[in-house]
Amino acid sequence: MSYLAKSPWLIHYDGSSCNGCDIEVLACLTPMYDVERFGIINTGNPKHADILAITGSVNEQNIPIIKNIYDQMLEPKVVIAIGICATSGGIFRECYNVQGGVDQVIPVDVYIPGCAARPESIIDGVVKGLGVLEEKYKKYGKKR
Amino acid sequence: MAFLKLAGTVTKRMGMKSACYMYPVVAREFTKTTRGHVELDSADCIYCGLCQRKCPTKAIEVNRQEKNWTIQPLRCIVCSGCVDVCPKKCLRMENTYSSSVTSKF
Amino acid sequence: MSKRTIIPFGPQHPVLPEPIHLDLVLEDEKVVQAIPRIGYVHRGLEKLVEKQEYANMVYVAERICGICSFIHAQTCSQAIEDLLPIEVPERALYLRTIWAEMSRTHSHLLWLGLMADAFGFEALFMHCWRLREKILDMVEDTAGGRVIFGSCKVGGVRVDIEDAKLKDIVIQYNDLEKEIKEITDVFVEDYSVKHRLVDVGVMSKEDAHVLGAVGPTMRGSGVAKDMRTLGYAAYKYLKFEPVVETAGDCYARTKVRIREVFQSIDLIRQAVAQIPGGPIAVKVTGNPTGSSFQCVEQARGDVAYYLKANGTKNLERFRVRTPTFANIPPLLKMLGGCELADVPVIVLSIDPCISCTER
Ligand code: SF4
Ligand code: SF4
Ligand code: SF4
Repeated sequence: MSYLAKSPWLIHYDGSSCNGCDIEVLACLTPMYDVERFGIINTGNPKHADILAITGSVNEQNIPIIKNIYDQMLEPKVVIAIGICATSGGIFRECYNVQGGVDQVIPVDVYIPGCAARPESIIDGVVKGLGVLEEKYKKYGKKR
Repeated sequence: MAFLKLAGTVTKRMGMKSACYMYPVVAREFTKTTRGHVELDSADCIYCGLCQRKCPTKAIEVNRQEKNWTIQPLRCIVCSGCVDVCPKKCLRMENTYSSSVTSKF
Repeated sequence: MSKRTIIPFGPQHPVLPEPIHLDLVLEDEKVVQAIPRIGYVHRGLEKLVEKQEYANMVYVAERICGICSFIHAQTCSQAIEDLLPIEVPERALYLRTIWAEMSRTHSHLLWLGLMADAFGFEALFMHCWRLREKILDMVEDTAGGRVIFGSCKVGGVRVDIEDAKLKDIVIQYNDLEKEIKEITDVFVEDYSVKHRLVDVGVMSKEDAHVLGAVGPTMRGSGVAKDMRTLGYAAYKYLKFEPVVETAGDCYARTKVRIREVFQSIDLIRQAVAQIPGGPIAVKVTGNPTGSSFQCVEQARGDVAYYLKANGTKNLERFRVRTPTFANIPPLLKMLGGCELADVPVIVLSIDPCISCTER
């Protein structure tokens, strides 16, 4: 992994997940995994965020909210789908209210499998997401 | 004193080792029981399809004619159901997680 | 009369890890009324019984909620075992009890951390979660998963814990108990914590009873009701008393949960001391028939499962009433008349778990 030229901020939205992946995302922020070492901060404000981390699948109710958050984020941005629910709908794929993975609604850049996704796996995924972010920066022709 | 109740703990911990794992600098050792991902020893498999039928997310696909066994890691919820049901015990639950990917296919 | 304002709270709110929406009707700074709107996490998993066979429903039940995952799986298994009917070996019952209590300790520490975060005590949050990770390590070592344990199945448990490991768990919990005591003393005694919690969100004993509160929310108001006294799993062999506080405010609910952490550790100790040897699972044959109703105490209160079967491999009905669902009416009662700044603390004080509520 290249050194981080930027401290990426992260916004987390919980789709219709079971909580398992959410608390693993939170666990990443706490002493044992401590992603703040890398300058990653969990923010509540979409305008501040570079990375949108979504746990859980999408359903009728939260599609507009996910779209709303995504649209409010500034370009370039990266979307990470955390957990099997967010990648494919998982065990709830056949439920009547579940539309499937997050990629049904917005473009996803990194998929993190696991039920629940392990914090290590989430960290790996975020690092991968940073690579994507870097490339997107280049495409936008921005100087950092 | 009821103020500064946490101060004692905080000072004590300053002298101690950091609680942080330092992942990814230090690799994580997984326990033997950790459910990470499913692996197949294809030599023993008889392509009976029991694992496919048991899987709650239809992550496994078994083709008897072509002797083909595939798993979609992006669907598997690592429940270990297939491992328990396999009659030849040729499925294993490895303790390392499957890695993240940037595209689904 | 002053002017009324309506403030939307959620579904994406920094204090909430999960989406719930509340419309808060305010008069100046006072909340007059709170109108909830739920449905953001609804998946409709009860209908999955038509597609999944009954043994797989345990996996689904486990994924109703990632925090009480094990207890959901336990309740679902219990109900199916009741329908089949089969007798679960003693050792499996004890192992289930041990895992359930481990999940309770980790859930309560998680909640204490979130609570500290809600009233702005970041350091305390970090310490709670630091201790919680040690429990998760033990869980992973024994069950195989960190939050989704995956160790319960119909007819018993999937994996055994060796006796040496059980002893090790007790030793680790003994050490952990001292560290947890250090942290929880802060909650009980610290001036600033008390300032935020005492006399906030008061619910009387009558209200708790009438509105049907469950779990620590109810026991914080002085009602001594704990489903574990029903004696399911191995609780019939263990000695414990429901933890009760009488004040009915956020502080009392916090104290209930703190004392329950220590109670759980004690229960694990008792269970490890008494656990018999023998098989950990029995073979499951046949299909379930009839209906079964199971009530089990989760970290957040009692969960009720109603299962109906018709002799095929798919169940006919799968109904779950989760603790947070029962705790929402009391929450709305508590919110009436509170200050806007106290809303996050009060919402958190019932330990909301939205993914349970909406399933
Ligand atoms: S992937 Fe598994 S743990 Fe994560 S939200 Fe979905 S069901 Fe829960
Ligand atoms: S159950 Fe075992 S033997 Fe049968 S197809 Fe699956 S892996 Fe092969
Ligand atoms: S572990 Fe579970 S979800 Fe994964 S392939 Fe096996 S049965 Fe399917």
